[in-house]
Amino acid sequence: MTGEPGTRRRPGWLLAHTVLIYLFFYLPILTIFFFAFDTKPIPGWPIDTLTVRWFGEGLQDPQLLEALWASFWIAIVSATLATVMGIPAAMALAWLPIPGKRLLMGVILGPIIVPPMVLGLGLLLLFRLAPDLLGAIGVVIAHTTLNVCFSTLILYSRLLGFRRSLLEAAMDLGATELRTFREVVLPLAFPAIGAAFLLAFTGSFGEFIVAWFVAGFARTLPIEIWTWLRYILSPKVNAIATLIMVVSITLSTLAQLWIIRQARATARG
Amino acid sequence: MERPADSFVRRPLAHAAVGLFPLLAWEALFFLLPMAILFVYSFWRMRDFRLEITFTLDNYAEIVTNPFLWKAFVLSLEIAVAGTIVCAVIAYPVAYFIAKRAGHWKTLCLVGVVIPFWTSFILRAYAWKLLLGEQGIINSGLLRLGLIDAPLAGLLYSPVATSIGLVYGFLPFMIMPLYTSIEKVQDSWLQAAADLGASPWRAFREVTFPLCFPGLVVGAVFTFIFAVGEYVIPALLGGGKSLMVAQAIVLEFETQQNWPGGAALAIALLLIILAMLGLLLRWVRMEDVL
Repeated sequence: MTGEPGTRRRPGWLLAHTVLIYLFFYLPILTIFFFAFDTKPIPGWPIDTLTVRWFGEGLQDPQLLEALWASFWIAIVSATLATVMGIPAAMALAWLPIPGKRLLMGVILGPIIVPPMVLGLGLLLLFRLAPDLLGAIGVVIAHTTLNVCFSTLILYSRLLGFRRSLLEAAMDLGATELRTFREVVLPLAFPAIGAAFLLAFTGSFGEFIVAWFVAGFARTLPIEIWTWLRYILSPKVNAIATLIMVVSITLSTLAQLWIIRQARATARG
Repeated sequence: MERPADSFVRRPLAHAAVGLFPLLAWEALFFLLPMAILFVYSFWRMRDFRLEITFTLDNYAEIVTNPFLWKAFVLSLEIAVAGTIVCAVIAYPVAYFIAKRAGHWKTLCLVGVVIPFWTSFILRAYAWKLLLGEQGIINSGLLRLGLIDAPLAGLLYSPVATSIGLVYGFLPFMIMPLYTSIEKVQDSWLQAAADLGASPWRAFREVTFPLCFPGLVVGAVFTFIFAVGEYVIPALLGGGKSLMVAQAIVLEFETQQNWPGGAALAIALLLIILAMLGLLLRWVRMEDVL
């Protein structure tokens, strides 16, 4: 008949379509990269001469730098909080029998499903009761709420594939729960924890809408860029955007490869 | 027989409660409580720029009777449905390719789908402005090729631009669940279908497609709920003529200072999304797709 699956004829259109979709994914990102090197003060096609001037100017702009710093520390703090809360929650969800688990998962994943605009509004109204929280702290809180869904989910799926026998062996040998956690769970889950942290970091670093609602007078980088996009046209934005994208693509590629390698190792082991 | 290791599971509920407590407390405080406050606000009223604490359904009635708000809902639903259909049609072959034909490239292909999702959403929306604008790449390219005489002004700032942006933004949410469900379809099942005399098309229609239907539904529901509440893309690409719900919410809050009105819009949007999720849970078991 048609023979082995591998020798079946490969419809060329499938490959062509896939290549087109990947172009569609990356063309806009590449566009920003190219425009970042455009010499003209108002970026536009065609690009005749190239320059790295805008990178220098962008990195010397005090407003952009301040926003970059704010985004950086907010992302670090919220990713840390999300990971620290995600680890014990994922362990409980993956290993222990929990009544009403479906409902619980629904609540835990809720912040992903609710439109960011609606979450932002809700938090803004909450912070009206505690005005001190508006500002950078508010952004940390908002981003932690968003990130903790993703980090719990990533850690949960990693821990599900974890061999229970390892835990039982450690405890059979007399290790306390804390020691088992420190010496068995933590090292084995470390790549997943790292991946969850990195993804939370990039998620927070690029998040705009929720931050916009609760930031008060604080400026994160996406808020700064949003203001520039709407009111100011400057090639500096393209340069800074290029830098951010290179960093976030690198970090998230690392995290993804980590997750996939771990999943494979689990499947094999 | 109880082994020493079972001490770990001897009091599972207590352990689970301790493990889940920080997360659940956080979500109660910073997710459920804000949603509850929003819900309460939606029954209040603004009078002379002051909040009046009362119980009124006027804010909800306003959504149905005010054509501006009603149109925002209709446009959001139309764009979300159209975007979801386009996503499904173009995502399916890609997911199929990655699952069945990519071979050694599979990992790279998967990472390639997920990466754009983690780069700044605003910047990717902004990139489409560079592509679709009057001096953008598409217009300049067409001009140079002599296909058009003047730049197409309607390319940017239109529902079409919004739809392109939404498809671009949410395609990964369609590809991933489709990929997961297509990958579960064993080659041997298709082989069996072929051995029994089914044409490749019939095998696809009667074996592959029904088996990956749950993935399609999950992808469609998520694409829809993300698209229907989207703000950045219509605000950057859609122009100001016809607004989507999220834009109307911002308008109520920022410009009109009508917080209860904005809250009611937000709750109505949330109800649409919950209804879609309810349908999803009736159609498919989540265990089938995760």
